[in-house]
Amino acid sequence: MESLHPRVRLLWAGRTALSALVLAGLVALVDRLLYSLPLALVVAGWVVLAVAGAVHALLAHRIWRFALEDDALFLVRGVVTRTDTSVPYVRVQHVDTTRGPVERVAGLARVVVYTAGSRGADITIPGLRPARATELRERLRELAGESEATDAV
Amino acid sequence: MRRLHPLSALARVGRGTLQGAFFGVIATTVFVGGLGLPGWVTPLVAPTGALLGGGFALARYYRFTYEIVGDTLTVESGVFARQSREIPLGRIQNVDIRQGVFNRLLGLSVVAFETAGGATTEATLDAVAEGEAARLRRLVQRYGEEPPEQAESAAETELQGESATETELQGESATETGLRGETAGPDIEELFAFDLRDLVTYALVSVRPAAPVLLLVSLPLGIDVLSTILRYNLGLVGGRPALSPGVLEAIGPPRLVVLALLTLAQFLLGALVISVALTLVEYYDFRLVREGDDLRYERGLLRRYSGTIPLSKVQTVSIRENVAMRRFGFATLVVETAGYSGGSQDAGQGVAIPMAPREQVYDLARDIEPFDELAFERAPTRARRRYAARFAIVAAVVTAVGYAVDTRLLETGYWWLLLALFVLVPPAAHLRWRHRGVALADDVLATRSGFWRQTTRVVPYYRLQTVFVGRSPFQRRRNLATVTADTASTSSLLGGAARAYDVDDDRAAQLRDTLRERLYTDLLQRRTDRYSTS
Repeated sequence: MESLHPRVRLLWAGRTALSALVLAGLVALVDRLLYSLPLALVVAGWVVLAVAGAVHALLAHRIWRFALEDDALFLVRGVVTRTDTSVPYVRVQHVDTTRGPVERVAGLARVVVYTAGSRGADITIPGLRPARATELRERLRELAGESEATDAV
Repeated sequence: MRRLHPLSALARVGRGTLQGAFFGVIATTVFVGGLGLPGWVTPLVAPTGALLGGGFALARYYRFTYEIVGDTLTVESGVFARQSREIPLGRIQNVDIRQGVFNRLLGLSVVAFETAGGATTEATLDAVAEGEAARLRRLVQRYGEEPPEQAESAAETELQGESATETELQGESATETGLRGETAGPDIEELFAFDLRDLVTYALVSVRPAAPVLLLVSLPLGIDVLSTILRYNLGLVGGRPALSPGVLEAIGPPRLVVLALLTLAQFLLGALVISVALTLVEYYDFRLVREGDDLRYERGLLRRYSGTIPLSKVQTVSIRENVAMRRFGFATLVVETAGYSGGSQDAGQGVAIPMAPREQVYDLARDIEPFDELAFERAPTRARRRYAARFAIVAAVVTAVGYAVDTRLLETGYWWLLLALFVLVPPAAHLRWRHRGVALADDVLATRSGFWRQTTRVVPYYRLQTVFVGRSPFQRRRNLATVTADTASTSSLLGGAARAYDVDDDRAAQLRDTLRERLYTDLLQRRTDRYSTS
């Protein structure tokens, strides 16, 4: 089983810290306009959220695993509810690699696997090195082709 | 290329003109004064708006063309942003025809084509003549049975006289190769029809959970009726028939409870009436027929709906029974394809048989997707403890809220009556546990859940898409897991995928591996079958 690039932890933790900052900003706005709140409370709230986000990111990275098994792509993820997902290669419709602006800065990429299924029709493997992401995409495409395209739906 | 029916153009131009004029009037009142335009402009704005609105509608009508040529449906549309769409007939999942009251008077139908991709209906023809709608439907149906180049002519001759031939159920081989020996009209066989008595029974038995909500929402509209009823109730329990908070205090708590119960009973009765009326309107004159390789249904009192479900594209077969239906041995059959986008669709989507004796429902289900006797295995008994714990928490929360409300607001001192909820916890947990199960049959995976409304989902192995095994923290404590088998069917969007709840951890891994393996073997099996038959 392969795990994600360690730098993804930074990315995830940063994302929660940033969203928490936005939330804190909104609260500050409420404080200014409507209802006065102690500033210490806002800061403390932000710290709690950011720390929780960092812990979550650490755990998420530790749990995240994926593997190309002989008939299916297999993923394990989820901190609270742990889910393992099997995507049979026959069911792969198409595969994308995407890199958002933040991901580009961090030097990471993600692979998105689409199926015709209705639930979790797009399965994402985040936090990969770009070279690995491209390699994975090519490999998945090959595997999907090998398993012989059938009437998908 | 063909155009939509001219009468539909008339309706649209009329609507466009009205909208334009309305917009013009609004614009006049809002802007003319503010912008300081000369006075003579004012009377001209509304007519200009009407002209523009009507003209745009007319242009849209003229730009909208469609045709089925060979094996594709082509639709061109758009005045400024032009769009041309080609849909291979083999990819069309469902063809739905609906007629509103207005369109029924004019003899028009709205035809909608659904494919598996996309979030909305892929092509909607609003509206064409009834005969044209039937022609289009037949063309799509025919595609699976004949070489594409003959399809059109054959469909046209078929309009004059129906000739019958045996057509077998498995249309997939023909869909793929597009070749078949004999070509003739499909035989039409009626599978199910509602007579009025059965329909009324069904309407009474199948209570819609949405009905009370609907009634609640519409209460402010019927405020007069509401106050009359409340006054009448007050008179019954011996209060002064006037609506003011003071009246309630004059009657003591016992009579207040009677009043509340009486009003609740009336409310539920009202909801039942609404539910029955909605069901009657929706399923009036329901008919299900088999036409060659397709199922076709018709239903509706005011708006008529009819649609085709190609048997070769069925993803999941569900059998639903609510408590009352189960008691009397009846069931509902729902057939799902990958066609609909979910969400905004009405409840009747995919219903093949609203209510019939269970054997009949299972017979048809087996006809659509052959499967053996389903031997359901239940979750381990520790799952039942989990449900009990969960229900106990709910009961505790309700009691706590009740206690808070009572001590702060009502001060009746009867909050402890809510503790009776805990008596219900063990039977509720047992019933939930008893009605959940999973069965691995020869060709299908079947899951079942729900006491009030039991749903049995039958998923053929070769339709599986992705398999999820989920474990919440509470499940991890008890070594349980939930296995979700996703298919491309629509209603899984609404949380209705085939799920085996709370199976043992090892069993879950075993299930997952079996499902993955069976997907491949069954797909391979089907492929070899296909090559050997064609």
